[in-house]
Amino acid sequence: MNPEKLSLALLLPLQIVMNSVALLPFALAWYVGFTDWTPTTVSNFWEANFVGPSNFITYLSDAFFGEAVLRTLFIVAVVVPVEFALGFMLAYVFSGEFRGKKIATTIVLVPMMVVPAVGGYMFYLIFLESGPVNGFLKFVLGEQAGMAFLNYPATALMAIMLADIWQWTPFIFLIMVSSFLSLPQDPINAAYVLGASRGYTFRHVVLPMLKRPMIIALILRGIEALKIFDGVYIMTRGGPGTSTQTISMYLYEWGFKYFRYGYVTSESLTILIVLAIAGWYLVKPLRGE
Amino acid sequence: MNMKLTKLWTTFSRWIIVIGAIFFALFPVYWMVKISLVGIAEWTPAETLWLPQKITWYNWAALFIPRGTLMEMGWFPGLMESEMVSTTATHAVLNSLTMALGGTAIAVAIGTLAAYSMSRYRAGGNFLPYLFLTFRMLPPMAIIVPIVIWYSTLHLFDNRIGIMLLYGLFPVPFVIWLMRSFFDEIPKEIDEAAIMDGCTPLASFYKVILPLTRAGVAVTALFIFILDWSDLLVAITLTRVRAVTVTVQLGLYQAEVGSLYGVMAALGIFAIIPTLIFGLAIQRYLVRGFTFGAIKG
Repeated sequence: MNPEKLSLALLLPLQIVMNSVALLPFALAWYVGFTDWTPTTVSNFWEANFVGPSNFITYLSDAFFGEAVLRTLFIVAVVVPVEFALGFMLAYVFSGEFRGKKIATTIVLVPMMVVPAVGGYMFYLIFLESGPVNGFLKFVLGEQAGMAFLNYPATALMAIMLADIWQWTPFIFLIMVSSFLSLPQDPINAAYVLGASRGYTFRHVVLPMLKRPMIIALILRGIEALKIFDGVYIMTRGGPGTSTQTISMYLYEWGFKYFRYGYVTSESLTILIVLAIAGWYLVKPLRGE
Repeated sequence: MNMKLTKLWTTFSRWIIVIGAIFFALFPVYWMVKISLVGIAEWTPAETLWLPQKITWYNWAALFIPRGTLMEMGWFPGLMESEMVSTTATHAVLNSLTMALGGTAIAVAIGTLAAYSMSRYRAGGNFLPYLFLTFRMLPPMAIIVPIVIWYSTLHLFDNRIGIMLLYGLFPVPFVIWLMRSFFDEIPKEIDEAAIMDGCTPLASFYKVILPLTRAGVAVTALFIFILDWSDLLVAITLTRVRAVTVTVQLGLYQAEVGSLYGVMAALGIFAIIPTLIFGLAIQRYLVRGFTFGAIKG
């Protein structure tokens, strides 16, 4: 087989799987998204009414959808900077030498190896009324303190964000610590020899060299945080009410609880297109130096 | 003196941070282990109990014993049979295992072939690898909506093969990027030498290059297994009875009335054992895995 043919043949198995379970449904979605199909009224999509672009207009004024989008952006805007700050600080500490560093590194990485749904359950238990957070609050503030955190919108959202921070701070830590350790030492030593202070060297020599891993860490984490679902599903199912509903949770509810297939398909298509375009530009820093 | 004080302060603050991080990382795990080891009376006590008062294995046993037998055992006083989950976790564990293994095999196979093509023949130039990277950036919930519709139409809903195919497709961008980075580390001269010795291009791939990247394939496979085993989203949208996974089963214990906190915690611990072991085994490669080979670590 000549190389030209071989290179195409090697791509064939991937192409077959992708076309059969992803590309065809995506093509079909372009029809379903323009219908009012709900499988509870008619069982097949071709029996549903073709409603034109009305789904695409309806969701623009859907308050639940808009709130879910804003809430998700809010979560990203809170958790990503917090995770970055904590992870970066920890990586800086771990860039030096100290006793027990190897085992400490492994322990710090444990949360990101936990199944996300299980991580969500851990924080569900922690924020129960009989959980350790209340135990601590009662110990400090007295018996009247303590509440069912997951039953109130603000504290439920906070609990979800804390679970995410617990799980994914190690992600930033992992990227930054390996970047710290692979820094070339010569420029840093040269700066010290020239009489630069630690702070100056860090700001003007170390930080510029860390720019690429920092950007990669922020982008990857930001994109992942946008998808947040597992923890929310286990901890609150989007409740109380819809107060912790994220984009993914919203699509899940409207798709698989209320079965508004046509409607959520139109929303899914929009989300996919917007994020595909954004993603194409966002992955640029991963393309190497 | 001043220098000494500064140094002391640095050491001290470092230890505070390290110990704080270790505590923060492990406490939630400890708490779930604790809940999994105590009886129903200690699941949600009136006062927070920091340590288990009486350790039992009931929760762990309850995962694998049918609810009828469980009622006779009387391990969970106050719970009705209808509040118990109707199926044991055995079925879900076997499902998770087969579907994650099958998905990993599919993903590694089709992804490695494609990665080799992209690494050695530059198939699709720069565009193709970045297209797959962009795919991975898309929210899976938006992708799954059309797939659920497609699968329902094909009667593949709640079907293990159908889910295995998705577990084989979704992690492919990781396989492509990881394997590409491993292939790129093998000098082109080795291919050329193989061809000179009379290997066909195909034979030089599976007789020379693939054996050289054995470790890379193993790391990739473990990484993909962790991703597939951890999945909740695909399983929760595409399974009902036959194909439920461990993560879906986890949610079943969380009923409206009387959640089975301890049993759910036991299943949670069970679910994270393989990911912890495999994760630690490939710790050195986790950076490369999660950054699609962009940072080698």
